[in-house]
Amino acid sequence: MEQIIANGLYLGAQYALIALGLTLIFALMNVLNFAHGQMYVIGGFVTYTVYAQLGLPFVVGVAASGVTLAIIGALVQKFLFGPVIRKSVREESTMLLAAGLAFLLDAVVLLLFGEKQRGVPKIVNGIFNYNDYTIVMPYDKILVGVLAILAIAAFILYMQYSKTGRAMRALAQDKVAAQLMGVDVDRYSIIGFALGAMLAGVVGGLLVTVTGINLGMGGPTSIKAFMMVMIGGAGVISGAIAGGFILGMLESVGLTVLAAYGDITYLVIFASLMVFLAIRPQGLMGKPWG
Amino acid sequence: MYFEVKNINLNYDRVRAVRNVSISMEEGETIALIGANGAGKSSTLRAITGLKKLTEGEIWFDGTRLDHLPPDQIVRKGVAMVPEGRRVFPFMSVKDNLLMGAFTRSDKRAIAADLEGVLARFPRLKERYSQAAGTLSGGEQQMLVIGRALMAAPRLLLLDEPSLGIAPKLVQDIARSIVAINRDHGVSVILVEQNSRMALAISHRAYAFSTGEIAIEGISAELRTDPRIQKLYLGGEL
Repeated sequence: MEQIIANGLYLGAQYALIALGLTLIFALMNVLNFAHGQMYVIGGFVTYTVYAQLGLPFVVGVAASGVTLAIIGALVQKFLFGPVIRKSVREESTMLLAAGLAFLLDAVVLLLFGEKQRGVPKIVNGIFNYNDYTIVMPYDKILVGVLAILAIAAFILYMQYSKTGRAMRALAQDKVAAQLMGVDVDRYSIIGFALGAMLAGVVGGLLVTVTGINLGMGGPTSIKAFMMVMIGGAGVISGAIAGGFILGMLESVGLTVLAAYGDITYLVIFASLMVFLAIRPQGLMGKPWG
Repeated sequence: MYFEVKNINLNYDRVRAVRNVSISMEEGETIALIGANGAGKSSTLRAITGLKKLTEGEIWFDGTRLDHLPPDQIVRKGVAMVPEGRRVFPFMSVKDNLLMGAFTRSDKRAIAADLEGVLARFPRLKERYSQAAGTLSGGEQQMLVIGRALMAAPRLLLLDEPSLGIAPKLVQDIARSIVAINRDHGVSVILVEQNSRMALAISHRAYAFSTGEIAIEGISAELRTDPRIQKLYLGGEL
């Protein structure tokens, strides 16, 4: 039982970080970023390149993942989503663009990093053993779990107390009023997209140490991210965090409890999610940005 | 002239909403734009803030041409707007709403002083300081958005229908605070109101709009008894 909870917390912290990036982009620009999972994959490959290939410290690798994705996010908003949002009157336009971007990034990853599964050397050795095998967890998992929780805390503090964070919250709640306060919508949309993509990149960099990384992980990661956001409520910080931890916990419980029935964890999760959304379509904390 | 709207025209799609409107004001004046719903007064205000682009004409403020600037640049020129329907940031605290008002400023000490000033002017906001703005009553939200606009330390304050949907008792309070803001801080005020009785009571001069054009303009105190105004707005006595 304790082991299941520990696994759930570890997974949930990573998932919450992914969902935060997705929900930030949605709240600011009403863009459903279908390419979020691909951004995560690029983050994984950047850390792989910096840490495993170039032999630089792991922290440098994760930082490089974050910076690379922030730049990609900023460029994507400035040259793709920004112009489309300005010109089009229909929201489907950005959805198609996001779907197209996902394919494009998949192709870029294939060209740059190939289709092989890649792993990295262990960042720390050893296994944590609590109370005679009640909880067993490798130290590297604990480390990336703690790093993810620190990143979540840093993100919340930044959104809550920095001037930029406040401006982004204002923009998400009332675009026109934010403009009247002097917020430059184009500039802050770019900052927001960069920040959201950066979070995806950081998680990619963290998780490559545990699960490795390969080209095919983009789509499933996007789907998980959307599930978390739907569980918690779109565009809400607390919702993304709740959704992340709930999905992490469900996955952890499912993999243990349902193991006897075969690989059906996600089948059960999808079915439950459909029932849940039918009852509460706005998610747990469904309201605009909070 | 301190502030001037020169012969502006505004279209929504192909429909002309504002036709050949000219407005001018001296520093420190309060002027009212009155008229029925859809008469073009709110559209004129939106054009001043940059939210609506002009079809023709020019807008000048203290030697700067405003009509080609985006809204966030116009705020930096010292023009703050209290939008119609209040538009607080509903999930942000009263404090964060007020701090958003000072978004264009970086002088921390002056911002803190202005925050004190706003809370002293609207003590209700102090009581609700860390509450989410969306949970406030309509009147409190109106105070909040006026306070938020003041946090920009504006030289020209635009108010769009501040009495709309507010309890009559609070309308008086809000009218008094508009007078005080104009008098104490020398802020010039443009007030858009359907409640022309209130608007004419607290403004120096007024422009009466009718179907996108200015029908009558003059000293507010004189317009209050002007039979043409009463005829124009059917409201009987003002």
